[in-house]
Amino acid sequence: MADKKNNKKNVPQKKTDKTTRYLVIGMIVFIVIAGLGAALAKNHSNSHVAMPSTVSKANGYGITFNPTAKVKVDMYEDFRCPNCRNFEAVNSTYINGLVRAGKIEAVYHPMHFIASDSQLTAAAVACAADQGKFIEMHTALYVNQPSSTQMAENSPYWTNAQLILLGHSVGIASTAFDTCINSGKYMNWTNNINADAAAKNINATPTVIVNGKTLSLATTYDAKAFTKVLTDLGVK
Amino acid sequence: MKKLWNERSRSWLTLAARLVLGGVLIAAGYLKAKNPTVSTASVRVYKLLPVGLANIFGYALPWIEIGLALLLIVGIWVRQTSLLSGALMVLFIFAVGQAWARKLAINCGCFGNGGVTVDGKVHPGIYLTEIVRDIGLTVVAGYLYRFPHGKFGLDKASNENEE
Repeated sequence: MADKKNNKKNVPQKKTDKTTRYLVIGMIVFIVIAGLGAALAKNHSNSHVAMPSTVSKANGYGITFNPTAKVKVDMYEDFRCPNCRNFEAVNSTYINGLVRAGKIEAVYHPMHFIASDSQLTAAAVACAADQGKFIEMHTALYVNQPSSTQMAENSPYWTNAQLILLGHSVGIASTAFDTCINSGKYMNWTNNINADAAAKNINATPTVIVNGKTLSLATTYDAKAFTKVLTDLGVK
Repeated sequence: MKKLWNERSRSWLTLAARLVLGGVLIAAGYLKAKNPTVSTASVRVYKLLPVGLANIFGYALPWIEIGLALLLIVGIWVRQTSLLSGALMVLFIFAVGQAWARKLAINCGCFGNGGVTVDGKVHPGIYLTEIVRDIGLTVVAGYLYRFPHGKFGLDKASNENEE
């Protein structure tokens, strides 16, 4: 009974229904192909994008200090990552001292994946690098990271205007810095950082690699153990 | 009369099953598509594929899920899409199961928060929840494979050999 009724109703509409069906199939296929294409294009390293002069392509597009030093420390981080703030709180005084004294080759890989503003902070620290204030901006971003009681880890916090103010607070006075942030000059470069980290199998932040060897989480968060890794390699 | 009622409720149940499976797939796909860095990392941590292939799979997977979800929701090729969705669930169960067996400390990335667990430890609850959920979804996919024709599906109009 029900079938008969259905058929009767469907017969005159059959052509339209088929067209609708093909139209819907076409739309779905288009969404999938366009989405996948965009994802592959965005997550591919592009050596022609604007990059700060301190970036080394050989170091996975990371911001590099003292490229001739013997001990190399790679740091993969996200400025919205609470564990990266822990690493910074525990070891940054030691690391910053070594970087300023030219004793280690430091490679910073500011990734973006935690919150939607992570990419803004990564681009902003690159703008600060152009002004010679990378370390200061790096520290300021962690000191001012919103705590988990303030807001969820993955909700956006920073705006460009706030990042510009933060830069000014660490002593950047150039309008080039403001323009760099407002124009999103290094936003494309941050995709290179993410693509390189994916190719290098970096699955969490912070990931700290010393002379090619990934440190355990226990060593990463322990100032004594971390210092020992470097001093054992001859860093004084 | 009873048979008629059964058929009718079955076709509503098919619609519900399509919406449940499609809804879960589109949510999972959307969260991953929004964050391909996490999506690729959450494939890599299972240590089943070489890094390069894992990354390609990580970029493609969310869009495969979204495609399957949309087809299920509008009700096109339900039998085929439910078969593929079921296969995907079986793959997830296998991936999570082997990660558990190998004691890989992963935070099963199926809902966007990929990568290793925050404390770097193995939490059996995470694997178990994931496996139970995926078994449930496999059952839903199996039901759709058996009874693909439901309410408001676009397959119906062009399907001559309906049961």
